[in-house]
Amino acid sequence: MLKVSRAQGAAPSWGWRLARFFKRLYAKPLSAIGTTITLIFLLVALAGPLIAPYGENEIVASDARQPPSAQHWFGTDNLGRDVYSRVVLGARQILVLSGLGTFLAVVGGTFLGLLSGYRGGWVDEGLMRFFDSLLALPALLLALVLLGTFGPSTFSVVGVIVIVYTPIVARVVRSVVLVVKSKGFIEAARLQGESQARLLLREIFPFVLPALAVEAALRFSYAIFLVASLGFLGAGVQPPNPNWGLMVKEARSFVNQVPWALYFPAGAISIVVIGVNLTADGLKRAWQAAD
Amino acid sequence: MKKDSNQIKKRSIPGLLGIILLSVLFVQACTPKSSLQEGVLRVAMQPIVQADPAFISSDPEVLVANHVYDYLIDITPDNTIAPRLAVDWDASDDGLLYVFTLAKGVTFHDGTPLTAADVVWTFDRLRNPDLGLPTKDLYTNIDRIEATGELEVTFTLKEPNPFFLFDLSDNHALILKANTTDAGTRFNGSGPFKVISYNPEDRIVLEANPNYFIPNQPKLAGLEFIFFPDQVAQVEALRGGQVDLVFLASSVELYSSLEGELGVMLVEVPTNQFDLVRLRADRPPGNDPKVIQALKLATDREAIYQLVVQGHGAIGRDSPIGPMYSQYYSEEFPVPERDMEAARQLLAAAGYADGLNLELHTPDTGNRPNLALVLKDQWAEAGVDVELVVEAESVYYGDKGWLEVDLGITGWGSRPYPQFYLDTMLACDAVWNESHFCDAELDQYIQKAGTTMNEEARTQAYKEIQRILIERGPVIIPYFSAQFTAVRDSFQGIGIKPFWGRTDLRLVSVAGN
Repeated sequence: MLKVSRAQGAAPSWGWRLARFFKRLYAKPLSAIGTTITLIFLLVALAGPLIAPYGENEIVASDARQPPSAQHWFGTDNLGRDVYSRVVLGARQILVLSGLGTFLAVVGGTFLGLLSGYRGGWVDEGLMRFFDSLLALPALLLALVLLGTFGPSTFSVVGVIVIVYTPIVARVVRSVVLVVKSKGFIEAARLQGESQARLLLREIFPFVLPALAVEAALRFSYAIFLVASLGFLGAGVQPPNPNWGLMVKEARSFVNQVPWALYFPAGAISIVVIGVNLTADGLKRAWQAAD
Repeated sequence: MKKDSNQIKKRSIPGLLGIILLSVLFVQACTPKSSLQEGVLRVAMQPIVQADPAFISSDPEVLVANHVYDYLIDITPDNTIAPRLAVDWDASDDGLLYVFTLAKGVTFHDGTPLTAADVVWTFDRLRNPDLGLPTKDLYTNIDRIEATGELEVTFTLKEPNPFFLFDLSDNHALILKANTTDAGTRFNGSGPFKVISYNPEDRIVLEANPNYFIPNQPKLAGLEFIFFPDQVAQVEALRGGQVDLVFLASSVELYSSLEGELGVMLVEVPTNQFDLVRLRADRPPGNDPKVIQALKLATDREAIYQLVVQGHGAIGRDSPIGPMYSQYYSEEFPVPERDMEAARQLLAAAGYADGLNLELHTPDTGNRPNLALVLKDQWAEAGVDVELVVEAESVYYGDKGWLEVDLGITGWGSRPYPQFYLDTMLACDAVWNESHFCDAELDQYIQKAGTTMNEEARTQAYKEIQRILIERGPVIIPYFSAQFTAVRDSFQGIGIKPFWGRTDLRLVSVAGN
């Protein structure tokens, strides 16, 4: 895409690129649905306190254990907290946690992947064997071990996402670098005396971008799932946080009395994970179409 | 054809009746006495770790021991003293001498008779300071224990102790055969059931002791204690028909999840178990009594009662002397109503006009996290910003951290008499004085209530203690929990006790018998 635009001489405006990108994302119904879902959840996360009628831990004692109604759209939980408000406010919490974790993992993974793939040799060997040892453990197990070591807190949940997903991103980036670096124009650039940093960022990185974007979206959806799972297992963020996983955990024992307190946060987790996954698929298709 | 068959029928009716009658008589004649015992009750519980009565502590451990061994004295479900191995006793007027008469014809499961020497040995072991048993402090007041007859034991005390009989019924005080060394692995009790098999990871199986010294007890042919580490799994096992009895402790959610379950009877008993909210009184901000008063005024007890324990149990009055102790409990002194304006004024007077930030530590078990949440919400209106620190029990109680934190919620179990709480939690030198509180007047009444042999004086002292705690106590006790139990309705006669491990299954029988 970048090459094409450069060949045409004049770079198209960002707005135009964005419009074309969304057009491609919306070309297939599934990715259209996924992208819409993702955008809605992002919007909810942004607007959070503006659209939540109650505070995340605001207790309306007289309304405890109420089924969904006009006043409490998703009902209230066993303590009289508004489930709708908690789901809405939890959206920002879970998306920020998993988004931040994913972002750091993508930045770190990209850096390490570029370095490892381009330099090769003992750097590559050392990094990859270390990552292999991390990847040998299932993500959730690794996360539980790490949280057991650091103690459960919001900060350590982000840290865990970074540690669990950096190796995966790095591997993806490295594989693309390995393909690209043998191409003639890289060799030519190197002979022209371009610095290593410039070479990596200007010449190689653009080729990594499509795969990276798809990988980032996928990691994001897994990170949401991971944050929710850790909340459910009681190892991640602690009460009274409106983490959806934690809400499911708390509502589980009251499921006979207040089933809605379980269904809505559980549904939110499923929908946002499906949405982000479909978006990732759409992204992949959009990039491929561009190529 | 039809006619024939009718004739046969007519002729055979008297014959058939005769055969039935004969067989009934025959079966009755052949049946030994123990066949009155029928049915096996399967009880779900957490695995036991300790089997030696001197070391047991959890409810499941006590429940098993209570059916293998006998106490000298029992405590009934309504917290009164009842005879067990001791059928009769006398106390001297000065309260220093107690003489117990033991039941006749009691034998251990190995066939040897139980005598006064076994009782003496058991209590000497429990109070031996060199063994480091949990009971060593409880019995320091005993001067000597003597067998004054084959079936007579005499205890001599150093100081009068109005609760001595309760102390003798301490959970650990099950009578062992003298000189037993393998109580941790062998179950040689005199109790109503004998252990047939014990698999630490699966279950412990007991059968009725045919030589039990109380006639017509136990009524069941056997007991099975089946181990489940998880309480939700226990409830599922009850639903699935694998067990008959599940103790739900104070879990309102499990209780309500079983409501309406066919064939299951739910039992709720009041207890004196409570969650204690306490503020350290020996350093800021709690060293200014206005702060705890403000927190008390900002607390809506009725809302907590409805939300956290869903209206089960009883509303608390900031004293550990709960309504279960009907002879001591008093409602004479009113607990101030919720008054946010007064709370804010008190906080301002204490120098927190711009708000007060507090960390509230709580274990992540029972109803405590929910209580913490509701308090956070209620106190926020008075300008108190609470940050919750919800910790695993091992963290909360680990390294004595719970005695250190400023503001904490601690769970206290139910006891048969209230003096325990005062001595260990609220007296100046109390071993678990978690609020670091010391009040001369309160101490004086605690001392008096714990030593006087005059019941009226004790009742009066307890009343004063309740007044002082409402006025200036460092603790908020918002509720007393109920104890829930679920049992299959094909059984009857279960007397659940506030400490469920002490529940007596000797009188349980198959319904209809």
